[in-house]
Amino acid sequence: MPETLLANKTAFEERRNREKYCKQWLKTQQKTVAKSINYAALAGICNGLLLVLQSALLAFVLHGLLIEQQALFANLDNLRFDFLAFFKGLLIIEATKPVTENLLLPALALLFVVMMLRSFSVYLFQTLGFEAAARIKSRLREVLLNKLPDLEPDYLKQHQSGELAATILEQIEALELYFSRYCPQQLIIAVLPLLMIALVMPVNWVAGVIFLVAFPLVIFFMALIGISAAVASRNQFLAMARMGGYFLDRLQGLPTLKLFGQAQAELEHITQVADDFRATTMKVLRIAFLSSTVLEFFSALGVAAIAVYVGLGLLGKIDFGPAKHISLQQALFVLLIAPEFFMPLRQLAVFYHDRAAALGAADLILKLSDAPILNWSSQPEIIPEELKKFPDLSLELQNVSKLYGERTVLSNINLQIKPLEKIALVGESGAGKTTLLKLMLGLEMASEGAVLIQGQIINPDLASRNITWIGQGASIFYGSISDNISLFSPDYSAEQISTAATKAGVTEFSDKLEQGLATIIGERGYGLSGGQIQRIALARAFLKNAPIVLLDEPTSHLDEQNKTVLLEVIDSLFKDKTVLIASHDPAVIERMPRQILIENGRLL
Amino acid sequence: MSDLRFFLQLFKPYQSWLIAGVLLSILTTLGGIALLTLSGWFISSAAIAGVSVINDVTASFNYMQPAAEIRALALIRTLGRYGERIITHEATFRVLAQVRIWFFAQITPLATGRLALIRSGDLLARMTSDIDALDGLYLRLIAPVVVATVGLSGVLIFIYQYAPLISLNTAALLVIACVIVPLLFNRLGDNGAKAIVSLTATFKTRQIEILQGLRDLQTFQAYERFKNQVLRVSERLIETQRGNNRLTALSSALTLFISQLTLLLSVILAAMALQDGQMSAAESAILVFCILAAFELVMPLAPAMQMLGKIQQAAHNIRTVASLPPTINEPEQSLPLPKNYDLQLENLSFRYENQENWLIKDLSLNIPQGSKIAIVGNSGMGKTSLLHLLLRFFDPQQGRVLLNGEDYKQFNSDELLSCFGLLSQRSQLFATTIRGNLLIGKANATDDELNAAIAAAGLESFIQKLPDGLETWVGEQGLKVSGGEARRIALARVYLKNAPIILLDEPTEGLDSKTEEDVLTALENLVRDKTLIMVTHRSAGLRLAEKVYQFKPEGLTQLPSVPDKLEQILLYSE
Repeated sequence: MPETLLANKTAFEERRNREKYCKQWLKTQQKTVAKSINYAALAGICNGLLLVLQSALLAFVLHGLLIEQQALFANLDNLRFDFLAFFKGLLIIEATKPVTENLLLPALALLFVVMMLRSFSVYLFQTLGFEAAARIKSRLREVLLNKLPDLEPDYLKQHQSGELAATILEQIEALELYFSRYCPQQLIIAVLPLLMIALVMPVNWVAGVIFLVAFPLVIFFMALIGISAAVASRNQFLAMARMGGYFLDRLQGLPTLKLFGQAQAELEHITQVADDFRATTMKVLRIAFLSSTVLEFFSALGVAAIAVYVGLGLLGKIDFGPAKHISLQQALFVLLIAPEFFMPLRQLAVFYHDRAAALGAADLILKLSDAPILNWSSQPEIIPEELKKFPDLSLELQNVSKLYGERTVLSNINLQIKPLEKIALVGESGAGKTTLLKLMLGLEMASEGAVLIQGQIINPDLASRNITWIGQGASIFYGSISDNISLFSPDYSAEQISTAATKAGVTEFSDKLEQGLATIIGERGYGLSGGQIQRIALARAFLKNAPIVLLDEPTSHLDEQNKTVLLEVIDSLFKDKTVLIASHDPAVIERMPRQILIENGRLL
Repeated sequence: MSDLRFFLQLFKPYQSWLIAGVLLSILTTLGGIALLTLSGWFISSAAIAGVSVINDVTASFNYMQPAAEIRALALIRTLGRYGERIITHEATFRVLAQVRIWFFAQITPLATGRLALIRSGDLLARMTSDIDALDGLYLRLIAPVVVATVGLSGVLIFIYQYAPLISLNTAALLVIACVIVPLLFNRLGDNGAKAIVSLTATFKTRQIEILQGLRDLQTFQAYERFKNQVLRVSERLIETQRGNNRLTALSSALTLFISQLTLLLSVILAAMALQDGQMSAAESAILVFCILAAFELVMPLAPAMQMLGKIQQAAHNIRTVASLPPTINEPEQSLPLPKNYDLQLENLSFRYENQENWLIKDLSLNIPQGSKIAIVGNSGMGKTSLLHLLLRFFDPQQGRVLLNGEDYKQFNSDELLSCFGLLSQRSQLFATTIRGNLLIGKANATDDELNAAIAAAGLESFIQKLPDGLETWVGEQGLKVSGGEARRIALARVYLKNAPIILLDEPTEGLDSKTEEDVLTALENLVRDKTLIMVTHRSAGLRLAEKVYQFKPEGLTQLPSVPDKLEQILLYSE
């Protein structure tokens, strides 16, 4: 593979900057649900503190059993619930041996309660975290869905609907665990270890100091390893990214590979690349895994050091620090805390891939939410005097040009359409007919010039109030035929709908259906033919009753007979409207009193 | 389950890696358990020794050895963890590669007919993530379960020697806590999980529906209403997820509680044994610490059980796709390719599966070798399907396609494909260098051949401008080439293949008129002494053809001459 070191580094830097941007965005999102995240973290911290209490109780009981040789059920008759003595015994700060006599059963009862409370805080941690994520998910979906209609048409054309839907559904879903577990856990890490140290300190300051030193060291080494791993991956970053995407790329290109007789040979390449990918990735992982090893090292070392220290202290072999006056209760307490001290960090490491997943999702979500939108407000609101020459025209285009990038699709179009005119717009596919219609509909913005509807500069709202559009292959939505006809407003009466259906010829086929106009159509509904869809689109347009009607290639999928019928229906439905039909069908062109010819983006 | 077993079979070549990973993992976990247990015992014994008699016994207590053992165990634990991570990940990578290769080999016969029928881009992306999800099969499911089973058995046998009752009691409770509870709650969440799947599908369909109908919704001012419908589905989805999350949380809480309960019960049972004199004080300390440490062993079990469903689903999805039937069958004994490439379409009728109306009805056409024809017609009418029949992605329901008088079905489909060079409106570029992309056309092409192809496709100046020339990476993670450049690279590839029949499917769609002209000129050279079959809905490019047919629902009609203007097509179609 020909990647140079420089190319690798550039790609790496690019990615890192993007990641920074995504991280920033995630932080902003996090702030909007700070409360829920704080509560979840609080539940996690409670769990940690209860664990300390549990260790204290366990040490208390073991001390009573092993050293004082108390019996659990010895004196059931005169059980003492001397809480003062009990809590004094639990407060293991004093080196004097605690009195456990007859206090073991209450201690065990309390242990039971603590265990229940711990389970409850685990429950709370998970449910509260979910609420944080749920709020973000539902808000982001709304934000993205609101944005869709404003997107530049070019952007929509370049992205498949499935891809955009996946962003709004799955990618937003992929943020969940980041907000529900990773963020709270981060807060826990910032608080819990310090609290634990504070609780251990008075009992055995040497153990406390061991924790106090180990914690920043672990963080330091993990960060150091993280940096080294990043350096290692930087030098092969591009190569790894390319190899990572190799399989999907070849899988998607399989038809092409087959056409060229290369599918079989590709199998060997896939094997080779998978092998290289493994070798390169493992090189980086070998460094990255040191991070969990460091964590493991300090946590094992903590246990070992504390065990040896308190053990030797109990034997009286060392007298450094509090070793000499140590009790078994104190010794057990610090030993029980030792492995738990690093638990929150370990948990964070487990949740770490939630963060990676969220960054990946954020990248895609941001691509959509940063996508360019049509900026209608950039148009002048007040129409300059010279544009007002013909205020009673239905539609007017003045020196309109449209460019996609450097490609000119329409250049210098001047067009005036009077009320009630019936016009055919003639031109080949690719000549610019559809673009012209979209400009009139306010679905695209002219690069130059002005589009006016009844003397006003166009915007999507104005256009959708005044113009009805029937595109090539109208969209059918899941619902009844009636629902589809009354698309413009749900408030039409059944009577109005059935009149429109009759006039547009929908009833000709719907009457034969058992449920008539109530028949469910659309995805997984009754399958309609192209002609039937067109009828529904006509009824829809008729019901909307806008003064201008634009039709795009209405006859392209019909045979001669259906074509004639359709054109007659169009004539009768839109007698009192301004009608513009884009077509290159002679049957259509002949019928229209006025023809506009367009070729290579120019009017002839 | 059979799906999982199937993939485990596939993993077999790497079983030594898999086993080594598990063994190291067991060693690490047992090291940790031993560390805590030994420490607990050491402290307790030291305390008891310290209490009983001063000096004498303390002196006889050999504290050097356990102290050294504790340090050794800490080391084993640390190194073991590192080794375990490395080995298990090596194993996972190897296994995943194996699955990918298997999948690619399985799906190759399904390309291109079957893949053309399903929305394959989406599907294949989903497949890739399903295959990736299979890495959990070893790492998150099998390994933790085996480690927990083996490790726990060891711990329980160890405890059994001191206190059989405690051992059995612990075993029972831990199995309930870490296996039965998660599985039970998974089951309870079944309805919710199904609802989530169906709501997700509904969301997606609705979402795609409003995206595809966006223009209609906008012009009918209905977007707001439809958007709110989608948002309501999203709210219902989140509500269902909330219910299921509550179940999972409850399951985690119960798992924790029951496993903690083993600790409590063990302390009580140990106290009683201690009192009865069946156990020494030091032994009971060992028990308590051993059980406490064993939680580490069983804690990964609950998430593993929760993963089970997901991994099973992924495995099932992959196998379902891999076992789809191909759209055509290969002959048992295939004819060798003829020297003559006359094509004949004989009364072809064709429609896609589940389609009611014929897309192509009773179509006949002779295409002798070297002839150049174009078929014009509106988009979406079945012109591309006709090309698919020529490439034998599908077989027609009625009629036959003949090559040199022999039925297509008698040839091996891969060999048949070697007769055709296809240039379509979608020029698939691979994420590799330009050279790599060209070599797809001819794997062993010499530099001279490459240069000839580059010249023929008019790519010279484009490549000269690139600092890395032919070695420039294109596609994902590389240079974004324009549509015109991609088309020309694809064209050079077809040139290199040098097949006797050239198929063009809207070859200049989406190009500006200057590029269109350049591509057409290149094509003119390319098809000079070959058969040409071109489908298009535009007049551009028709000059390449000698005969032009119009494609209509009623059938093919030949136009009296090759039109060079739109008006002429209009004229003819009357």
